[in-house]
Amino acid sequence: MGYFLDTARALGVTIRNAFRKPVTVEYPKVKRERAERYRASFALLHDEHGEELCIGCLACERICPSEIITVEPGPKVESPVTGKKRGTVKNLTLDLNACIYCELCVQVCPTDAIVMVREPERPGYSREELFLSMERLYENEKHKPAAWATATKLVDMQDPKRSAPAPAEREPAGTTAAKAAEAKEGEAP
Amino acid sequence: MSPLVHGLLYGAVVGSVLLTATAWGVWVERKLGARIHTRLGPTMVGPAGLLQPLADALKLLQKETIIPRDADRTLFRIAPPFMAIFSLATAAVVPLAPDLVAADLDVGVLYVLAVSGLMLFPVWVSGWASNNKYALLGAMRAIAQGVSYEVPLVLSALVPVVLAGSMSLSDIVAYQVEHGWFVAWPPGPGLVAFVIFFVASLAEANRIPFDIPEAESELVAGVTTEYSGMKFGFFYLAEYLHTLVSSAVASVLFLGGWHGPFSDGLHWLVLKTLVLFLFVIQLRWTLVRFRADQLMTLAWKWLVPVSLVALMAAAVAVLIMSGGA
Repeated sequence: MGYFLDTARALGVTIRNAFRKPVTVEYPKVKRERAERYRASFALLHDEHGEELCIGCLACERICPSEIITVEPGPKVESPVTGKKRGTVKNLTLDLNACIYCELCVQVCPTDAIVMVREPERPGYSREELFLSMERLYENEKHKPAAWATATKLVDMQDPKRSAPAPAEREPAGTTAAKAAEAKEGEAP
Repeated sequence: MSPLVHGLLYGAVVGSVLLTATAWGVWVERKLGARIHTRLGPTMVGPAGLLQPLADALKLLQKETIIPRDADRTLFRIAPPFMAIFSLATAAVVPLAPDLVAADLDVGVLYVLAVSGLMLFPVWVSGWASNNKYALLGAMRAIAQGVSYEVPLVLSALVPVVLAGSMSLSDIVAYQVEHGWFVAWPPGPGLVAFVIFFVASLAEANRIPFDIPEAESELVAGVTTEYSGMKFGFFYLAEYLHTLVSSAVASVLFLGGWHGPFSDGLHWLVLKTLVLFLFVIQLRWTLVRFRADQLMTLAWKWLVPVSLVALMAAAVAVLIMSGGA
């Protein structure tokens, strides 16, 4: 008897569902509002003086799990803004065909040069559209919202210890404060 | 008109109309299933995806037919057409309107049950010929299920035969036009027999919740595992044809066929068949699959005894109505 009652109830549910408005939208024709912090693509940034931030350190290429970032470092040049020697990059490409959107490249960037942006929308209609050359990465800079996450901000949020002063500037090992800090770390889960 | 010409003419018309209806039955199933999931279903081919059956058929026709190396090639080839032929053949005796029937057999009910029983043979032949363990297992399950459900199907189909005193489907409808539909009058046996007939024909057509022979999660696709292209298309077609024709036969046996309020005619049979067909689809998207032992329990411990009781009740009802006893 229970089976028949349950069947009747289930049939009621399916009838009700059949008259509900479908949830699906036909994607290329109808586009849903995307979340404000949706991350669809990548951008390379300039600093406030208009100088390229990327120093060609290869950190993003090394950490990329799907090995889609290729960096060709350029020669060390004297920065026209600060006058100090700095690295440059000759070419940096990112192949979104295999990107898993893990954002690790953003998190390791020492100069906050690479960020993820909301626009332009992905996917594209061809493989070429999904290949980000250096020109396209710099072009995407215009989509960057003011409050976007950079490596520094992410480190502040996720790993406050790393953004603390470098180890050399801390108290030497063996002092009471350092010991207390170590003990605290051990307790942490 | 000679019976031969009559049969050919009406058979061609009924057959092509039924095949077309089956094609759009697939569309109805996909669309309704999608709406039950609050999805959209087919939308791209034609308005609201209405041309989807044509696209499906074209795709299946273009596909290569692959025959496994160790398969029995002859049996493998002949099984699928027979599936479609047997499921289509059932429709021959269904009276669609007062004088619209391809073949008005005196033993119409027997013919319907015999031909739908024959459908098990191509299933077994294809399962055997595929030389594939999943196909063979699926075919064995189909046979076991078919043999079990044939019994309550026949017993419940006998109730209208006993009540009307005739095996001709036209006579059964005529009797219902005169005395009221069997599902309602005499109260009891007709309704019970209708439910049993419906459940048993669901199981015969291997529809969910009785789709154990092609249980995707266990047997890949059952007997159709090795079939591709239009050979698979025949199995697909046969399933929907059988569902549609079973719905029509159930309407004729228990729901008064083409009889209805206001005006008798084809439209009433179409409406009743459609309602049953939609209910079959809704059941498919509502229920989960039975286990093999639950299926056998349902057939032998419930449907067979209950249909025997309904048959006896029908006999008693006939005796009382004829003024005997």
